[in-house]
Amino acid sequence: MNHAEVRRAETRNPEVAQRVTDEYRWGFVTDIEQETVPKGLNEDVIRLISAKKNEPEFMLEWRLTAYRHWLTLREPAWSTVHHPPIDYQAIHYYAAPKTRTQPKNLSEVDPELLRTYEKLGIPLQEREALAGVAVDAVFDSVSVATTFKDKLESLGIIFCPFSEAVQKHSGLVREYLGSVVPYTDNYFATLNSAVFTDGSFVYVPKGVRCPMELSTYFRINAKNSGQFERTLIIADEGASVSYLEGCTAPMRDENQLHAAVVELVALKDARIKYSTVQNWYPGDREGRGGIYNFVTKRGDCRGDRAHISWTQVETGSAITWKYPSCILRGDDSVGEFYSVALTNHRQQADTGTKMIHIGKNSRSTIVSKGISAGFGSNAYRGLVKVLPGAANARNHTQCDSLLMSDHCAAHTFPYIEVKNPTATVEHEATTSKIGDDQLFYLRSRGLSEEDAVNLIVNGFCKEVFKELPMEFAVEAQKLLAVSLEGAIG
Amino acid sequence: MLHIENLHVSIGDKPILAGIDLDVKAGEVHAIMGPNGSGKSTLAQVLAGREGYVVTAGCVRYLDRDLLALAPEERARAGVFLAFQYPLEIPGVANVQLLRTALNSVRRSRNETELDAMDFLDTVKGKLELLGMDDSFLYRAVNEGFSGGEKKRNEILQMAVLEPRLAILDETDSGLDIDALKTVAHGVNALKHPGRAVILVTHYQRLLNYIVPDRVHVLAGGRIVRSGDASLALELEERGYGWLMPESSPQTEARP
Amino acid sequence: MTPTLYRQALEQTGGSPHLLAAREVALERFFSHGLPSPRDEDWKYTPLDFLERAELHAPHHTAEDWTSEDYPGIALKYGNGRLTDVYTQSIHAHSLADRADTALVVRYLGQLADTFPGNTALAEINSALWQDGLLLHVPAGWKSAPLFMVHRTSEADAMLHLRHLVVLEAGAEAVLVEQCLGAPGLAYWHNSVTEIVLGEGARLTHLKLDENSAAATHTGLTLVQQARDSRYRALSLNVGARVARHDTRVHLDEAGATCQLDGVFIATGRRHIDQHLHVDHRAPHTGSSQTWRGIADGRGRGIFDARVVVQPGARKADALQSSRNLLLSPHAEIDVKPQLEIYTDDVKCGHGATVGQLDPAEIFYLRSRGIDADTARALLLRGFVEQALGLLKDSGLADWLEPHLAAALPAPNKEHTA
Repeated sequence: MNHAEVRRAETRNPEVAQRVTDEYRWGFVTDIEQETVPKGLNEDVIRLISAKKNEPEFMLEWRLTAYRHWLTLREPAWSTVHHPPIDYQAIHYYAAPKTRTQPKNLSEVDPELLRTYEKLGIPLQEREALAGVAVDAVFDSVSVATTFKDKLESLGIIFCPFSEAVQKHSGLVREYLGSVVPYTDNYFATLNSAVFTDGSFVYVPKGVRCPMELSTYFRINAKNSGQFERTLIIADEGASVSYLEGCTAPMRDENQLHAAVVELVALKDARIKYSTVQNWYPGDREGRGGIYNFVTKRGDCRGDRAHISWTQVETGSAITWKYPSCILRGDDSVGEFYSVALTNHRQQADTGTKMIHIGKNSRSTIVSKGISAGFGSNAYRGLVKVLPGAANARNHTQCDSLLMSDHCAAHTFPYIEVKNPTATVEHEATTSKIGDDQLFYLRSRGLSEEDAVNLIVNGFCKEVFKELPMEFAVEAQKLLAVSLEGAIG
Repeated sequence: MLHIENLHVSIGDKPILAGIDLDVKAGEVHAIMGPNGSGKSTLAQVLAGREGYVVTAGCVRYLDRDLLALAPEERARAGVFLAFQYPLEIPGVANVQLLRTALNSVRRSRNETELDAMDFLDTVKGKLELLGMDDSFLYRAVNEGFSGGEKKRNEILQMAVLEPRLAILDETDSGLDIDALKTVAHGVNALKHPGRAVILVTHYQRLLNYIVPDRVHVLAGGRIVRSGDASLALELEERGYGWLMPESSPQTEARP
Repeated sequence: MTPTLYRQALEQTGGSPHLLAAREVALERFFSHGLPSPRDEDWKYTPLDFLERAELHAPHHTAEDWTSEDYPGIALKYGNGRLTDVYTQSIHAHSLADRADTALVVRYLGQLADTFPGNTALAEINSALWQDGLLLHVPAGWKSAPLFMVHRTSEADAMLHLRHLVVLEAGAEAVLVEQCLGAPGLAYWHNSVTEIVLGEGARLTHLKLDENSAAATHTGLTLVQQARDSRYRALSLNVGARVARHDTRVHLDEAGATCQLDGVFIATGRRHIDQHLHVDHRAPHTGSSQTWRGIADGRGRGIFDARVVVQPGARKADALQSSRNLLLSPHAEIDVKPQLEIYTDDVKCGHGATVGQLDPAEIFYLRSRGIDADTARALLLRGFVEQALGLLKDSGLADWLEPHLAAALPAPNKEHTA
């Protein structure tokens, strides 16, 4: 059924139309056996997780310290998002597909799982070689397949599941884990530090440019299983890497918690580009179900001329709470944040960034595009802080909201704190709606209303899309179109 | 009046001017022409004292003083005037405020009495008429919201008010339509005086149809590669700059 | 400040039994809240807990009559919180303490302070302890002559709570200038609450000049409620006090209501100047604009926090914020928080904020015209500030304000000379 048909159906039978537009295109459940630790959280559960992962002692100690600290914290209440209280004792903190041994190649991977990825369009088989993408697929909590490892290994690049890095590269993990996001950082990061199950680990050695985009797809599948991913990316001096993270999840009625932590470390002259397309299940039209996405992402430009760039397209989740940030410690370091966040129906997003200027001549750019439709609520929250030593620091922030319904909400909460008289900080924000005259103009040129909306929305987001790798940009545009079906009218 | 000898100028580590020699006498009009990136604007900015340019060798004498040792305002008070290629917009500061503060600064330095508001307005109104400008010009913020032509005319107005000894016009003709060009040229011609010299920095010959230069110099690769009389400009109009270019590729004109 | 000290201050106030009872209630409510602390997001940059350690008292004396300057209008002079001459020349302006029991005051006083969200603690202590203030009541269709309300504090460690009530009925017009002064170097706390009710089509121009002493604490809360087609235009010049916090909250309740909240802050020396603006668009076709220019020099700190809310259904709301700031010293700080909260789609809202320094190219341009570097900087600073003073045009107040502005601008600083 194409857009035009949906619209016709809507005029005839609103109920049918609603069901059609409510359909979550990637909402299906993979039917494989799960190995699950009982619900709830206590020190024994953490010991169990650590034991199942066969972790060294320092890892268990770190988890337990984080857990004890978490017990002293209260869930933050400062953002604009609202949700029923989360029962942290009703969550399974560990779920793994029941495959006895790690698959050595794709033929050993559960075919059911491969079909799931196929439906999602993840290029896990031969196509990926052509596309030049290496995939570390995370199915719930355990990585099941990793490709292109050999090629990366020959360059000295480590790209593996976090649990494997803990075993094989414990020196690096020990040195860098928690060095950007300490276990004390915030409620959700602390919880993650205690219970994280898996994630990705990347190390690019001195002077090496990673020749391909590294990519991970996350899936949330097991009923009531919180996902606590932990990603750590280190670019050593002069190294560069581009990392893609994509997330889709099958349809569920109960809310699922996701509290990931991503830490990026860029040493002198290193460059990290981190791109995300997030389209987890947003809940239905009435706001039932959907993922709660409370993520802590932070990059540390630890050396001079280090460069960290965050690009995100957030169209999914019932709640998104996420502030990918940069600590611009090195002189001449650069931080960037490009974001599109779309909320439709009852979705809520509170997202933005922090740019902390410490080094001289550090520069940052923030481009945030918020789109609110239906009863969606979209907030940009950002901090640009220039410390006394950051001579000649520069920031430019552009923050635009596009409003598409009478009931939606769009907020802008920028904080600008400047303590150096040679710094220049500029912030601009606009709020606008899709104009009836714009729509009329495009329709009079033969476009359907939906196509006209998509055209305008894509134009609105162009500055961000151009930062995405090509294949991601195409997917992002499709996602926006799907997420906005039926948003106008 | 102006004597430039072996002037070398860099921005950072990048050499822009590589040995300029130039003599300008009172009453003369000199045109400095050259392709983009030849160093024309750098020369104009250095003469006015813009920060960020490093003089690595050579000297500039102006009325028997070491021009390079003077602060920008001291040069202005000594009679050097630069009409900017890109005049700045200064919101909140009225044109009349700038003109009066500037004129009185110059007068003070010459031990002349400062003009009160009435005398000042009389002086300025005459100049406005000369340039065919409206009174309302005075009360608008400096160059804010001015069209390209208005900005250039405003530069000439400032020049007319300050009555400099040495006027340097940096691409004052660029971006002007023919009528605006004539107005600007008329303003400059009206200021011609045996005691005053003018340096026209320009890319095109067309301004020189209205202000006839005594000497024309071609700047390329940071050096004067050819000098001649007004006919040189006409020759450039026909043949372009290629035939005069030095072997090495031209350097791009950097800004600090 | 111990509860005993507040209680002593309460005993020095007066009023009808009805008013005294209201004061008691307000004081109890204040005790239950306490002064704002840094944990309160709205007070993050300007916590007032230092007042808890101060020992302040209600002023003992009414300052002797004083004349410091000429005012181009009717002047109402308050010394240490009391109107010094109760027989004002205005038929519309009165001492609030004198008129506390009139039907008008009983009807309006506290109406906004009790219903507007936020700032409860300072409004409550003011409701409990206010000594005097202004009642400006302009009946329908009348136009009041320009009024200058001048406050001067001359008693050390005084705690002044001023309460002002401005009621402009339908079509009424007024110009109110408020100036706060203090004896140089004197420490005191001046806390004022101003409630402004604008009827249909009413127009108020409100100029606020904070020139409190460099050791004083000033907290000022202005609440404005606007009916259909009314217009509130305010210009603040915040250049005084050691710690100043200026809050303005406007409710645009009916269609066609507009407000313009402009201002300048200049935080020199060790001044800490915080301005909070909050405009609530609660009806369709309402408009608001804010144009602010801020300067921090020396060890000064300036904070600009402005929030525009467009409520559901407030179609065709038009809101613009502009905040430009100059940071002139390595020990100064500027914090800016321009916020938009939009709950409907058919709106035109935007804001721009910058923090930076004077443009060297502009300084060079002026120097190339013969103007020395210090004068060039002074011209540029004056020009920078001028951008927020549009409201003064045609008001007849620009000439009066000029010397105040000149005195507040940072003196040329040797450190800056290239």
